[in-house]
Amino acid sequence: MKFIQARQDQLFFEIGRRERSLLGEILQLYPLVSPAHHRLSKTAAAGQLKEHQRLLEESLAAQRAENRKNVRAMLDEPGRFRTAPPGFRLKITRTETEWLLQVLNDVRVGSWIALGSPDTEAGEKIPLNEQTSPYIRSIEIAGAFEAVFLDALTGRTPME
Amino acid sequence: MAATATPEVRPDIDREEETDSSTALEPGYLVICWNDPVNLMDYVTHVFQVVFGWQRQKAEMHMLQVHNQGKSVLTRESLEKAEFYVHQLQRYTLHATMERDQE
Repeated sequence: MKFIQARQDQLFFEIGRRERSLLGEILQLYPLVSPAHHRLSKTAAAGQLKEHQRLLEESLAAQRAENRKNVRAMLDEPGRFRTAPPGFRLKITRTETEWLLQVLNDVRVGSWIALGSPDTEAGEKIPLNEQTSPYIRSIEIAGAFEAVFLDALTGRTPME
Repeated sequence: MAATATPEVRPDIDREEETDSSTALEPGYLVICWNDPVNLMDYVTHVFQVVFGWQRQKAEMHMLQVHNQGKSVLTRESLEKAEFYVHQLQRYTLHATMERDQE
């Protein structure tokens, strides 16, 4: 997938057939992170911010429902992926890119949590086997799409 | 020789209990972002720019603090505002919390 150009609020990408299918596959995994995973505070006593914690989880659950609706609508929208041999041309707005980033990062972080939140920066290795490989794959693919969208938002065109 | 401290005599005023509303308005909460090795550096920078409206340079400085020191204090706010920012950051699946400022 490659960022082509920005025209006002619209961003245009060139996307191959296989990439389109991978993007759909990754977006369908959403959501992976449970709202209860997020904590409002690390130090506050459990009861102290109980009501605030409940509001946080409600807000995240509502946002997940909205993002899931957006994903479904985007994948089903006719003309969203315009045929442009050998692949497609994808057009999305900057606003859509924001929720796409949220969705992709949820899949990335959710897959990482499913692997036991390994501290790879500290050298912790993830064993590659039948159980772990689907999560490792999701982390890599979601990250690759995130990088392209971030480049597009900052106006950076990847090197040919 | 160290000077002897003179005890301070305070007027006899009963201290009122802190109310929820006054606590909520005090800028006594730190919004902290913690390092998660899975988040892309550019992604974290972008989220800080979107949520706080910061210039890229400032957002990058905080992102590097998160990356190198394990956390960064992003802002100090009232309970309500701190809560708002934590919600926004968690929408992007960043590991963010609000903590009472002890200072």
